[in-house]
Amino acid sequence: MHIVDGALSNEVVIAGSVLAVGGIALGLKKLPMEKIPAAGVLSATFFVASLIHVPIGPSSVHLILNGLAGLILGWAAFPALFVGLLLQAVFFGFGGLTVLGVNTLNIALPAVAVFYLCRHGVAAASPMVAAIWGGIGGALSIVLTTLLVGVSLALSGEEFVPAAKLVFFTHIPVMAIEGLLTAFAIYLVRKVKPELFADLKVSSGGAQ
Amino acid sequence: MKRATVFALTALLLSFGAVTQALAHKVIASVFTSGETIEGEIGFSNGDMAVDTLVEVFDGDGNKLGEVTTDSDGFFSFKPTQKVIHVFKSNLGAGHVAEVRMEIEELPEIAAASSVAETVEGAENSQVSSVEISNSDANAEAAAGAAISLAALEQNRELLREMIHREVTPLRREIAAYKEKNDFQTILGGIGYIVGLFGLFFYLAARRKLAQVQ
Repeated sequence: MHIVDGALSNEVVIAGSVLAVGGIALGLKKLPMEKIPAAGVLSATFFVASLIHVPIGPSSVHLILNGLAGLILGWAAFPALFVGLLLQAVFFGFGGLTVLGVNTLNIALPAVAVFYLCRHGVAAASPMVAAIWGGIGGALSIVLTTLLVGVSLALSGEEFVPAAKLVFFTHIPVMAIEGLLTAFAIYLVRKVKPELFADLKVSSGGAQ
Repeated sequence: MKRATVFALTALLLSFGAVTQALAHKVIASVFTSGETIEGEIGFSNGDMAVDTLVEVFDGDGNKLGEVTTDSDGFFSFKPTQKVIHVFKSNLGAGHVAEVRMEIEELPEIAAASSVAETVEGAENSQVSSVEISNSDANAEAAAGAAISLAALEQNRELLREMIHREVTPLRREIAAYKEKNDFQTILGGIGYIVGLFGLFFYLAARRKLAQVQ
């Protein structure tokens, strides 16, 4: 899922970095003080989740959990996931420093998209319904991420359809796992700490 | 908040359990000299090798020197013809790109190697000729002896090289795998950084809020 240094053309890297910086700035602006610890915890979760590998055929893919981060953090997923990616690049050599912007965009943008698509569902009265929406969000974020990775590779000259197809099909198990994981996480949060989504309802209902 | 923290910590602990058996999914590529050729390996850090993958060879300025294909063990060999920096590039798809450089001083000795080959050839010729003369001349006999020992030396060297290569290959693989190892301390260190960074955010946000109140 992490694109490495040298795989993308300069234009894509620069455009990705600019967009990522914009997203991070917006995320930091929209990060209320109360959400900072949650952002930290989700950043750490993302950091560790990518070490959990699911072996598939000749290759293996890892968990990303950007859907969960997006559902809880909204735009603040950008800085949270950026920090996780930065440390992964430095410590584990996943991806690379020059492609950090593109990777941030590819992973955080779906998180934000899922936030807007599923936040009403997750804030639903019944925790069960919320969990189902959470599962949809978790799986959808991976789908969107694979598509964005495909687009980044395509813009750098690779054929879009085969590139995207390869990334997409290898990530189908991850979609299933993350969907389930996110659903359970949302269910648990709704059961033990409904306040986490209470302000989601307020903010989505209120003027924004 | 307390409950959420507990939940998050539990989730982190659970994921730690899975981490121990996880491997980084990263491309590793290495090149090394073996006699007159440059040999290399390309694979993923989880031990899967890149099978039948096209490897393109460029010089330091990006001019293409040639291309080779990896075998079923992700192994390839390239015979250098010029004394320039060799850059090996391979695209494994899905954003995985391998790139390794071989500096000039690491290159196999092309000129020296070819001169050795010539001497061996020359020695063989003299050997044949000395056999034709059939020991009639003492000088020729001496020359034949020298030629045989030279040929034997060359053969020995080839054998030795092969042996060392066989011995070193698993070691090299182990080192490559070790380099990719993510140990517990690194992971904890990373989490420490995250905690610290978000603590700093929190501090700044709190200070701003306090300033607003006052």
